[in-house]
Amino acid sequence: MNTELSVKENNENKMSDLQVMQGGEVKIIEGEKIIEIKGKEATGLDVSKNFEKIAIDSASNPSKSSPSEKLEHKGEEETEAPEIPNWITLVKQYPAIKNSPKTLEIIHLAEGPIFSFTVVIFLSIIVIIGTRKAKMIPGRLQTLIEIIVEKFYKMVCDILGQKNGRRFLPYIGTLFLFIFFNNILGIIPFMKSSTSLIQTTGALAILTFLYVQFIGIKENGIFGYLHHMAGSPNDTITWLIAPLMFPLHVIGELAKPLSLSLRLFGNIMGEDILLGVFVFFGVAMLGFTHLPIGIPLQFPFIFLALLTSTIQALVFTLLSTIYFLLVLPHDEEHHKE
Amino acid sequence: MDAKTLAAFAYPIGLGIAALGSAFGLGKAISAAMESMGRQPEAIGKIQTGMIIGCAFIEALTIYALISIFILKVVGVI
Repeated sequence: MNTELSVKENNENKMSDLQVMQGGEVKIIEGEKIIEIKGKEATGLDVSKNFEKIAIDSASNPSKSSPSEKLEHKGEEETEAPEIPNWITLVKQYPAIKNSPKTLEIIHLAEGPIFSFTVVIFLSIIVIIGTRKAKMIPGRLQTLIEIIVEKFYKMVCDILGQKNGRRFLPYIGTLFLFIFFNNILGIIPFMKSSTSLIQTTGALAILTFLYVQFIGIKENGIFGYLHHMAGSPNDTITWLIAPLMFPLHVIGELAKPLSLSLRLFGNIMGEDILLGVFVFFGVAMLGFTHLPIGIPLQFPFIFLALLTSTIQALVFTLLSTIYFLLVLPHDEEHHKE
Repeated sequence: MDAKTLAAFAYPIGLGIAALGSAFGLGKAISAAMESMGRQPEAIGKIQTGMIIGCAFIEALTIYALISIFILKVVGVI
């Protein structure tokens, strides 16, 4: 195999392209270089080896001038959808961190929890400062916290009743506030919603599922729980059908955390990607100036993101409340009949 | 026509069909809510809340189709 590498400087093409020509001649046009490989057998192996070299050259070549590509290289890897970069992806660009794959992996895993912890610390600080010296005639921050708690108290007690409502209010209220502030965090510059990762939403859904099943077993006893799982049979026909109903109910119970997590994840990731794509367009529109600025085309979609964040947090919370209602013993209605 | 081309052609059509189904469902739900709001203006708050939650459920099914495309993109099929 005769391969001849000749590098020519060429300022015309700015797109990277791979053109396979006839007769065993491979021409690779990349950025400002045209690399020609002439040979009798230009096998795939040759092409891929040289393509790697070209990729490394272009990655370290500082003459990438289009700002849209700069944004791409900052925020995404090759197979992921475009996202607005946050401060962790900017940290990843330092050569000390970039060149060690172990650190990159650890940072990649820790990206979600770091933003979740930011929300937790923020909420804790607000509540601790607000309730430090609680007075009978409250100040402003305490009034705000009381308004929020009272709204949730009303909403939860409407569904669960007075006694159970008070019991589950801390968990349900925390769920709403955590999800809501996590969703909102993605709109702030240099931050990212941790609910746009399946790790966070899956964890929330699994936690809710386990808590609901635990409450079901605790309230009804283990036999009451299995009785409920088999469709609550009380006469002959339902007892006969019970073995059929049992797998159906189990699958229904397992589908609940799946739908909870996927609904939240899909909505919030969709919002992030929508914002990212419009930022990309905005920067690409001003690409001729070779400056990292762009028209803020994503501005109307920030309002849509606010709406979606609120609605998805509300839906998650209300669904969890209804799941609690379904496993708790509801024996007042039976006594009425 | 190889598998990647077929997948890249079929997935958006599937997503469009899912969006069509959810549009029908949402139209029915919101029209029922509007009607009942017109009948009883004092219950508008509760009906609005229920309508938003119902719409979120119906919308979720289309979102499942959308995120399956993203997951396949990350995996490498599309």
